[in-house]
This record gives sequence, structure tokens and C-alpha cells, in this order.
Amino acid sequence: MTLVRRGIPTVVVTTTAFEALAHHEAHTLGMEALPLLVIDHPLGGEPPARVAQKAAAAVAQLAARLGR
Amino acid sequence: MGRLPLASEVIELPDSFEAVQAHFLERGWTDGLPIVPPTAERVEAMLAGIDADPDAVVGTIPPLWGVATIEKVAINAVMAGCRPVALPVLVAALAAMLEPAFNLYGVQATTHPVAPLLIVHGPAARRLGMHAGSGLFGPGHAANATLGRAVRLCLWNLGGGRPGAADMATQGSPAKYSYAIAEREDASPWEPLHASRGLDAGESAVTVFGGEAPHNVNDHVSQHAPGLLSVVAGTAATLGSNVGWYLAQSQLLVVLGPEHAATIAADGFTRADVQRYLYEHARLPLRRRKLGGMWGIQDWPRWMTTADDDARLPIVPGPEDVLVMVAGGPGKHSAVVPNCCFSRAVTRRIDRWPGPDAGG
Repeated sequence: MTLVRRGIPTVVVTTTAFEALAHHEAHTLGMEALPLLVIDHPLGGEPPARVAQKAAAAVAQLAARLGR
Repeated sequence: MGRLPLASEVIELPDSFEAVQAHFLERGWTDGLPIVPPTAERVEAMLAGIDADPDAVVGTIPPLWGVATIEKVAINAVMAGCRPVALPVLVAALAAMLEPAFNLYGVQATTHPVAPLLIVHGPAARRLGMHAGSGLFGPGHAANATLGRAVRLCLWNLGGGRPGAADMATQGSPAKYSYAIAEREDASPWEPLHASRGLDAGESAVTVFGGEAPHNVNDHVSQHAPGLLSVVAGTAATLGSNVGWYLAQSQLLVVLGPEHAATIAADGFTRADVQRYLYEHARLPLRRRKLGGMWGIQDWPRWMTTADDDARLPIVPGPEDVLVMVAGGPGKHSAVVPNCCFSRAVTRRIDRWPGPDAGG
């Protein structure tokens, strides 16, 4: 949130498996507004082509989180 | 006792063992085993075991950042079955885990099956009755079992480290129930571990190590240090280990059985020799490491870049990152405890004993 407060466009990237933890964490720290970009789990162990596919699929979500 | 009222909420429950256990289970306040009901009287008695204000804050426990006051820690210690004498050790261990080098957030939330291992040193180990002999990692030793469980309950209730929610360990570990041991100072050829880490041998201290469950080292035949330590090295350097991929944070704990330690010391090996030997030999050829694990996403210093697939690169940053201690009973077994490669061991003095014999 320090980055957000400084006006730096910020997004926290997580996978679906860790989404609940990210929400818990944000809530506990009073950061409910933390911009979260959620991609399909897993990311580790994926072939580069699949990672690129997931990245491409996340672009729209990323733009929305960044408010563009 | 003069400390009432406690700051914590008092819950009225039917005066029945079953009702109390059911309530604590239902609220998710236990590790799944029955607890000792933390009545005000028991918590008061626990607080008498430490020279500290019950409202004093030890820290906030990740990943969900519950505030660990002395009173909250005492409640969890009661639930775990600890005696009051354990409370200063538990508080020191939590403070050690909250030092940045330990990275408790990572240890709690990682997918890797790791738990904080407590090693109690010096007079405190004797005062608590910590067991360092046969089967020390296993059941049957009340001081070890309850202290380790108290740590887990603090991480569970104050840190929110529940499996699948904030503790994301893919499979978990039996070490997450309870993981607390002591050294066989009487059977060690070398100074106690905490003395090798900058404290006085006569001081009470606790070391916390974010480690996997112990890996067995079976060697019934080696008569000399190099052979035996090669077997230890082989146990430490395995393809599926996390150790070595993030080099700067990787560490190994080697718990030598007394008979193995005697064999090694009989060859004149000091602790530093053992550390250096394992640093040099606990390695795999680069071609093996390229088979999988975290190859391609490792965090290695530039000097480890090489085109030589036969290169045997280190898995810890230096010899001092191999912690060596002696514990166990008769037999030809030792153990290697790999760390979670993003948490470094912390050793901390235990103080806050009530009365004039602080630390003694």
C-alpha cells in the first residue's frame, strides 16, 4: 500500500490457490482495497507457452486493476 | 496471585470434559488433540512462571498477525499442557522466530513441509526436563511434547496458521504437531551448539530452526570420520531437497547420535572440521541438479554459473551454515534436518525467569 499511496500503479499477483490467504492477509492488515490480480493455479512447473497464455489472459484483469 | 483480572475474554462452558473439548474443536482453537482447559486459575499459575507483565507484547505472529501478549502465550501454553517453568522458554522461542532472519511468515505459509524446531540449551533444558536421549524426536517426553505443542498452538491461534487457509503446506508434516529437543551436552565431544553461536556455554538459550522432519542417517559400519560424514553428506544432498536452490538462506542441521559423534571425534575432527567437511561434500553434480527440483528458478550467486556439468556446487553458503549438535541414545543413527531455504536459524538467550536465579 506504500506504493499505492505514492501514486505508483500497483497490483499484487497471486494464483487461485492462494487467493484466500491474500484476502485474509489484506483484511488483517487493513488493506481491503489491495489490488489483487488472480491467475489460475498453478504457475510453478508450467511450460513457458502455458505461462505466456496465462499472462496474456491476465492482461485485461491487470488493466482493470490499474484503472485503465 | 495478584494478576487478575486477565485481559482475555472469559468463556462460560458446561463443567464437562466433553463439552469443553467440543467447544475448542468447533472454534478451531486446537491442533485436533484434546487441550487442557485454560481456566483463569491455570493461566494465573502459568503466568507465575515468568517475570513479565501479562500485557507485554512479544510480537505479532504471521501470517494473520495476531498480537502475542505474554497472557495469550500463557493461555496457549496451558492448553498444550506445559508447566509454568516452560513459559520463559516459549516466549524466548517466539521472540527468536520473530527476528527477521527467521522469516516466520515464510515458515508458516509456505507449501514446503517445514516447522520451527526448538533446541533448548544449557540450564533451561535441565530445568524443564527436556529429553535429549533415545527417541528425542518422538513421543514419551512430556517437556519436549508440550513445549513443541505450545509453539504450534501459538502459531495456530495467534498466527492463524491453519492448513489450507494460511498454512499452505502441500502435505504438511508430523513435525507441525510438536518439534522441540535438547542437546546431549554430556555426550558431545564439542562445546554446546549455543556456545558455537556466540553465547556462553553456561547460559540458557534456545535455537529455532525452520526445518523439515528429520532425515535418517544410517551407518553401522564406518570406523572413521570421512566414511561416516560421507553418509551424512549423502543424506543432506538429495535431489528433492529445497536446500541449495536459494543459496543465501540455505542451512542444514546435523544431529549426530552420540556413537557417531564419538567415531568422528576419535579421528580428531573438531566441530569446525565436521562443518567444513559437510560443506565440501554435501553436493551433487550439476548434471543431476538439472534434472528438476528448482532448476531454472534457483537464486545462485554469479560465481556459481558454469558450463561444467560435473561441477559440484555447494548447497549452503558456507561451513557455518551446517549446524552440528549431538543428541540421541545408543545406536548407529544420526539425522539431517534440511531447512526451508528462506529462513535462517536464530539463537536467543532465555531470560525473564522469576526469582533470583535467573537463567541458572
